[in-house]
Amino acid sequence: MEWLFFFEVSLAGLGTGGLYALTAIAFVLIYKATRVINLAIGEMLMVGAYLFFGAAAGWALPWWLAIIAALIGGGILGIVLERGVIRPLLGENPISVFMVTIGLGSILVGMVELIWTANPRSLPNFFPTDPIFIGDAFLAPKTFWSFVVAAVVIALFLLLFRFWRGGVALRATASDQGAAYAMGINVPAVYSLAWCLAGVIAAGAGILLGSIGGISSEMGFFGLTVLVVVIVGGLDSVLGALLAGILIGWMEAMAGVYLGGEYEHLVTFILLMVVLLLRPYGLFGTREIERL
Amino acid sequence: MIFKKLARQFVAPVAAATLALGASFSASADDKEIVLGGSIPMTGPFAFAGIQFDRGLKDYVEWINAQGGIEGHRLRYVGEDTGYQQDQSVAVFRRITSRENVNFYFGDSTAFQQAINRELDRRDILMTGASFASELNNPDQYPLQFLLGPDYSEQVGILLRHIADESPGARVALIHSDTEFGRDPIAFGRNMAEQLGLTVAATIVTPPGAADISAAALELRRARPDYAIFHGYVLSPIPDFIQRARQMGMDTRFMGTYYTMDQGIINEMGEAADGFMGVMPYRYYYDEEGPAPIMDAIRELHDEYQSTTYIQGWMTGVLITKIAGETIRAGKELTGRNMRETLDSLRDIDTGGIMGVPANFLGNSIPIGRIYRADVSKGQMVPVSDWIILD
Repeated sequence: MEWLFFFEVSLAGLGTGGLYALTAIAFVLIYKATRVINLAIGEMLMVGAYLFFGAAAGWALPWWLAIIAALIGGGILGIVLERGVIRPLLGENPISVFMVTIGLGSILVGMVELIWTANPRSLPNFFPTDPIFIGDAFLAPKTFWSFVVAAVVIALFLLLFRFWRGGVALRATASDQGAAYAMGINVPAVYSLAWCLAGVIAAGAGILLGSIGGISSEMGFFGLTVLVVVIVGGLDSVLGALLAGILIGWMEAMAGVYLGGEYEHLVTFILLMVVLLLRPYGLFGTREIERL
Repeated sequence: MIFKKLARQFVAPVAAATLALGASFSASADDKEIVLGGSIPMTGPFAFAGIQFDRGLKDYVEWINAQGGIEGHRLRYVGEDTGYQQDQSVAVFRRITSRENVNFYFGDSTAFQQAINRELDRRDILMTGASFASELNNPDQYPLQFLLGPDYSEQVGILLRHIADESPGARVALIHSDTEFGRDPIAFGRNMAEQLGLTVAATIVTPPGAADISAAALELRRARPDYAIFHGYVLSPIPDFIQRARQMGMDTRFMGTYYTMDQGIINEMGEAADGFMGVMPYRYYYDEEGPAPIMDAIRELHDEYQSTTYIQGWMTGVLITKIAGETIRAGKELTGRNMRETLDSLRDIDTGGIMGVPANFLGNSIPIGRIYRADVSKGQMVPVSDWIILD
């Protein structure tokens, strides 16, 4: 019985980990392509969830159309942020850009509160509600389906990244901007593409997250754990983001049940400290050598 | 040069006359005015309540002034937005109290009401507000503050009393957020449950802002409680817990405390709300049971549902009216300390039906509440207990 419980908690942790991994990919995508540490990723996720809410509850669109509208909205938001705020700052001190993303987060929260107020909301349920059993182990349908969707989106993204022309351009720009320019790749367009894709992924993660726990203007808090995930996994590593997301989701679930909910974040941040001490570039990040 | 002359000849005398006029107005107004200042969270995460406090206070002030005011004194409300930021709440307090002769003040959070306590003492102002924190229910430490109902511990106590009456020996789980707000009633609740012969089957903590409570829901299933009491949340993650419990075949009855219990929040829970119970110190807008002149006045003013936080604004006004009115009748100045003495002497306060029984302060709180249950088909909260008074 205890092992069954352990298995169930592990599955629940993997479900949360899938969402961490999905959001972390949006973060890594922006960092790989533009070297910007985007602390507004949690707020971009929140905006995506609210766009879905606005389309589904406000405009009364069917849920699948509302999802498409929210994903398109997320992509447009990514492009607007990149073209309007981030691109003018290219070449500036990375700390300045980093600080601007913090400000962007606050602006997005303010905008959401202006449009939809700060009242807590629930999203329309679009997941099947039949309980899922894996053997004797129970898995909540929302957790199961959000994990499945996250896994499919991640797989799709990896395929695009590997085989699609735009994906190849993204990878080329990430590995060597100068060479990418020389080969005729439109690097500024690649920047916009990276922010656009990250906006779409963040909006998708926001819809999944909001459908599990409801939405509020404070949802961006989720981005803080995602930041830990990407630092642990390595800021520029897609594989690192995936594995660290799953690992941290599982560890939080274990800590929550066996130590108490007050230890969930403590365990996460202890892991962050240990990883930074032992591997400052993260588990799978590129080790950069600087000559002084 | 011409402008300077003009200024000397016209602007200066006009300004002086205006100032003199203003001074005479404020002098006469001061004599016959009672001022209620307020740090109000009109924006930020608590805006859903702050906007309603503000509306409720404004409506009450207009209503009481139309009735002739408080013992011939006009009540005036001066509130400013704080964004639910403690530093902003303090800045608003300083701004309002420095330019107005404030008698009462409405605070927006536990943190602010704790932080400003010394200043209240210095300025001799009586405060109430949004917080129901148990720590504030201590007349020795917070002599110039009072709560607008039962503190959070007493709210959980009222729920436990109801459970013990309904199902003696029941198993209870306490689920709370890992915040000062969430932890507030837990130790008290555990002790009281034991005293009432109930079993605390689990105490489940969720991190602040937790998005996914999958593991915590499994912990709840392992505990198999008959009742689960949520505290430290407004909406999320309560519906998620309830849905998961139902999917796991549990028949646990779920309960919440004051800030979860507004009809608007219950509506957001969707179908998960059906059967959800909780403690409410005030009548709901649509609860027309018994004579309730204040509730009638609210219904006359608005023909659509008004939130419980709006009614909390009126409750503030009703208590201020009682306290200030009695103080004036006793021939005393409207200082914080004098009004505190009045508050301690008040017995069986008639809240005009906002509370269904006469109210009495116990320390700084009024430990009265009633259990309501959500009836989703009716779209209303229906009472399932009498008014419960903790002693």
